[in-house]
Formats: sequence, C-alpha cells, structure tokens
Amino acid sequence: MFEAIAFYLFSAITIAMFAITVLSKNALYSMSALAAGMVMISGFFFLLDADFLGVVQIIVYTGAVMALYAFGMMFFDTTRDVKEEIRAPKLVFLLSGLSALLLVIALVAPIVSDHITALYPMTEGVENPQAVGIVLFTKYLVPFEVAAVMLLVAMIAGIVLAGKKMDESLTLKVEEEFQEKGAK
Amino acid sequence: MSLEQFKDRNVSQNYTYIPVDKPPVKPLDKFKQVLKRTFKGELFVGLWVVFREMVKFDIHTVQYPKEKLPISPRYRAVHKLYRLLESGYERCIGCGLCEKICIANCIRMDTRYDENQRKEVTEYTINLGRCIFCGYCAEVCPELAIVHGPRYENASEQRAHFVLKDDMLTPLDFLKEGKQQEYPGFGDVSPNADERIKKTPLAY
Amino acid sequence: MTLTEFVIATIIKILVVLGLFSALAGFGTYLERKVLAFMQRRLGPMHVGPYGLLQVLADGIKLFTKEDIVPQNSVKPIFMIAPVIGAATAFIALAAVPLFPEFEIFGITIHPIIADINVGVLFVLGVMASGLFAPLLAGMASANKWGLLGAARTAIQLLSYEVVTGLSILAPLMLVGSLSLIDINNYQSGGFTDWIVWTQPVAFVLFLIAGFAETNRTPFDLLEHEAEIVSGYATEYSGMRWGMFFIGEYANMITIAFLASLIFLGGFNDWGFIPGGLAIVLKVSFLFFFFLWTRAAWPHVRPDQLMWLCWKVLMPVAVINVVVTGIVLMM
Repeated sequence: MFEAIAFYLFSAITIAMFAITVLSKNALYSMSALAAGMVMISGFFFLLDADFLGVVQIIVYTGAVMALYAFGMMFFDTTRDVKEEIRAPKLVFLLSGLSALLLVIALVAPIVSDHITALYPMTEGVENPQAVGIVLFTKYLVPFEVAAVMLLVAMIAGIVLAGKKMDESLTLKVEEEFQEKGAK
Repeated sequence: MSLEQFKDRNVSQNYTYIPVDKPPVKPLDKFKQVLKRTFKGELFVGLWVVFREMVKFDIHTVQYPKEKLPISPRYRAVHKLYRLLESGYERCIGCGLCEKICIANCIRMDTRYDENQRKEVTEYTINLGRCIFCGYCAEVCPELAIVHGPRYENASEQRAHFVLKDDMLTPLDFLKEGKQQEYPGFGDVSPNADERIKKTPLAY
Repeated sequence: MTLTEFVIATIIKILVVLGLFSALAGFGTYLERKVLAFMQRRLGPMHVGPYGLLQVLADGIKLFTKEDIVPQNSVKPIFMIAPVIGAATAFIALAAVPLFPEFEIFGITIHPIIADINVGVLFVLGVMASGLFAPLLAGMASANKWGLLGAARTAIQLLSYEVVTGLSILAPLMLVGSLSLIDINNYQSGGFTDWIVWTQPVAFVLFLIAGFAETNRTPFDLLEHEAEIVSGYATEYSGMRWGMFFIGEYANMITIAFLASLIFLGGFNDWGFIPGGLAIVLKVSFLFFFFLWTRAAWPHVRPDQLMWLCWKVLMPVAVINVVVTGIVLMM
C-alpha cells in the first residue's frame, strides 16, 4: 500500500514539475522545476529497490542542472520572464506532439504486448551496486569505454577552448594594450 | 614615560622592510613554491597559536555594564556646574564667556539682575546633541564653575535630560555632605598655577 | 518486526533525529561563538543565562519574531522555498547515517539509523550536494547583485568539490568493497590500528578539505564572504528564513563530522576501554571542534585560489591516490 501511495505521489509531483519546466516563461522556475523533477525521479528507483541508480540520479542531475543554472545565470536575468518569439506555433505544436506520441508508443508497446522480460534478473545475495557493475563490465563494456573516451574527448576539447588565453591577465593588462586591441 | 616618542613625527625611521621574494615565473619554480608552502606546516603554526591562546585562557574582555574601565581625570564627558564650597551659592557669575566661545553653539544662558544688583543665571542649557565636548567652556570659565564630569553614559528616555541647569548643578544636600570634589580635570587650574600667575598688565 | 512496528519505530527515530539535531545545530552556534571567543581572548556570550547558555534560546526567539521580508523584485516562491531546501536536505542526509551502535531498550533492539540503504555513503553525499541548491536558488531569486555573486560561487564550488569528494572516498570504498556505511564501520572493527585513516591518510585529508568546501566553512566560506559580497546569497534574508540556512549549515557540519568519523576514524566501534557510542561522540565532537578551530586560525581563500586548489592540486592527488590504491589492491 505504501509503495502505491508513494508511486502515485512521486508520479504526480514529477509530472507537475516537468509541466512547469516546459510551460513556464521564467528561466528560474523552469530550471528549479527541472531539478526537482529529476530528484523526484530518483524516488521511482528507490521504490524499485534500485538504490544505486536512485542515488546516482540525484548526484548526476544535481551537478548537471547546476551547470544549467550557471548558463542561465550568464544568459538571462533569471528573475524576469523571457520573451519568447515563436514564428510558426502550429508547426512547433504538431512536430513536438508527434515526437512525444512516438516516444510514448515506443515505450508502451512492449508493456502492452507483454514482451518485456528482464535480461539480467537480480540474483540473490548480490547487492545493487555489484549487479550494476557486473552488467556494466561484461556485456556493456565496449559502450561503457566508448562513453568514457567520448567524455575524455569532450573534456580535452573544453580545456583547449577555454584555456586559449589563460596566461593573459585581464586585470594586469596595461591601458594601451586595450586601446591597441580596440584599434584593430 | 617620556613624551618624546609621541612627539617624534618622523615615524618612518622605525620601519623595517621585510624582504619579499619575487613571485616565481617558471612552472617548476611555482611547483616548488607550492610544495614548500604545503609541507612547511605554516597552517599548523596558525592552528597552534589560536589553540595556545584558548588553553592559556587569558581573557581581555571587560563585561561593560558590570565592570567599567577607569577613565582619565581629564576625560571630557557631560558637564557639571559647581557651587561655592562655603556658601553654597552657584559659582557661575553669568559672564557668558562659555556661551561666546562654544564652537558648536550649543550653550544658551539667560541672566538677570537680582535684588542685590548681582547677576544671576536663570536659565543655563547645553544642547548635548550638538555639543562636541571640546572643553573650551570649561577652559574659559574664570570661576571654575563649569567642568566636564566623568559621566559618559548618555542614554535616557528624553533628549531634554542632562541638558538643563538643574541636572548639571551640584545638588545642595550633596554639597553639604562635602561630596563636591574639586575637579582636577579639564579647565582646572594647573598644579603650578601660583607660580605662573602674573600681574595684570595695566599699562594700556 | 511487523510493518506497523517498523513504521512506528521509523517515525519515532525521525522525530528523535529531527529534534536532537535541530537542538544540536542551535547549540553548535553557541559552541562556535564560545570557542572562537576563547581563541580570540574574548568571553563570548555571557549575559543570557549562566555563561550565556540561554543565548541560543534568545536568538531563536529573536529569529522567530523578526519580520519576514520578501524583496519586491524577487522571484517570490523560489525565494521562500530556498531556505527550506537547505534545512530539509541537511536532515534528509542524516537519514542514512548510522549514528550509534545497536542498543537494546525495553527488550527491543534498536538500530539507530532511519533508512539502512546499501549505498549509504553515496546517498548522504548526494543529498548534501543537492543541499547546495539552497544558496544557489536563494541567491538567484533574491534579485540582488551580492546574492547573484553568491549563487555563482555556489555553482562553481559545488561543481568542483563534488569531484574531489567523490574521488577521495573512492579509495577507502575500494578497500572496503561496499557502499554501506555500516559495512565500512564493521571493516574497522579490529580496533585503533584498523582505522582506514592509517591506510588512506591522503584520502582523509582530501575528504576533510572537500567537506569544508561543501559545508562552506571558513577557509572556503566564499558564498557569504562578508568582506567581499556583503552576505552573499543570504543578503536579502531575515528572520526564520535566514535561521533555516543556519540550521542547515550546522546540521551539515555534524553530518560531515559523522561521515568522516565513520569512514576514516573507526566509526562506532569500541575504542580501547571506551564504548562505541561514546567513541563516536568524541570523534564527532573533535571534528566539529576542528571546524571551529580552523575558522579561528585560517584566512579565507580567493575564488580563483579555490578553483586552483581543486583542479590543479586536489583532483590530481585524488586520482593518483585511487590509482595507487588500485595497484596495491591488485598486488
């Protein structure tokens, strides 16, 4: 009974939060609702006894949404509404609705036709993190490593892009240098 | 203690320059500096210093409303008006010098002639909201009638407190008990006043 | 144990933890003021109650009766919700911390942990990290430049020091082979020499440094650096909303102290003749004292020094520590 209550509670909150994320015009509302929704999703993992994934959900999305906040802080005045300009509202509505529908069909189909079975069912006596680790380092080793390499590439690219003028100090620059730059 | 060290305006002669190394430029030197600073244990010196002070428990706090620091006799706080010791009359002769010299313009007095054709002070107020406690009034007073007292706690329900003549004047019963002490403070005659006294030059 | 018993026991535990730790957080402010005062040759609070003990109560009354000011241009719902996040996450994180060894009372064995999940360490750290949303949201919603600067500093501090925390406890976790705080505690049950701090001293230092950054205590107290940005994210807050930030901060300090003593300092195992329950209280008290001690002794760092420290020193050291631990474990 508790699980059912918890499930419906978490579902309602999650849906409400993501609705706010999509519908709100204020960047701060959207991002906060996104963060809250992501944390609420971890509730489902806890309900399914997948503690590890639930905690990872919290940790990863805390950091990820925090980075989003940093961008929001730089791009918008987050305390004001963003003025949106949508050229063709009907087209946007149609396309986004269609893609959402496709996604729902793709996810619901196996459940409706009862073709869903666990490929790696939980074994007794193996704890959650171990189970994740076993699957990750046997069957999905190559995708795991590829993802790791991709992240490394992204990190190096980020450092290269950001670190181009790192040895140049903006505060210690002499006035003339600025003027030279301006003349060019 | 002599006053010489306070009179010396050329303060820079006691300065010592602490030699500061130039910041390292090469990456290797920077790395060495980081290592040196990390393992030299300066952080622990800081921890030790504060811990030593805590254990020594050498507390310097004065718990103000309960304890008060002694103040100098020359401290210039709220004014007092004095009475003549023998007769109990007010010392103030209503000359108005204090009113004239007051640079904050906060002293007001009102005088009249009494039945003996002597000047009598009827009103005497000091607006302590404006007073800057410079002490000129006490210094200029020829009769040592107004002095600065040691009372510095100027908190009251009304601004009008402390400023009226009746509040500043020594109460008569207080005088009779002999509690009005000659004030060795600001505006008082100097200890060697008798030696320094001169004849008034009446040549003009 | 039936379901009803379990639910009742859990609710009682939650109430005890909530009550105890809010009181401790309040008492922590008193301790901090006293310890800092003694280290600076002062007396600290002395007037309210004997030795100022009732100062906490007076402060509480003051905070509760103060006007609750919400600035006009702020984003009001988020401005109002932010301190709640701060206080709530601090207490949620405590849910997965085993506070004491099991003990029996009225013939019932009590496990002093609210939710014994087998990824306790990660849960506590994750929830504590999401607690940093409180200063972030507070700063961004209050429509104040200092608040915004505080929020920006929160973002960089969280994003950088999350990495160090995670990497630093990875090495001890590799030794233990479990993410459960109880397992980590039991791993060190062999006494003083079994403490993980002896095998992982580098990880311990790194974890403490990152813990200071996550609880924004003094060497890394940049979010509300009074000398630079007025009061940072808390500039516009007053009354009980500000008080909730405070309770959250002190509860977080206690949580970090518990985590450090559980993971590195032998947890609640018996320590010589000292029983386990007392031992962990001593360890946590010492770590809490250490938090205050550093505040008296060490200066703030600049934000760029903070980033430099994180990415150029702590993270490489943490990675090297993990690699070395891995090699040693393989051999």
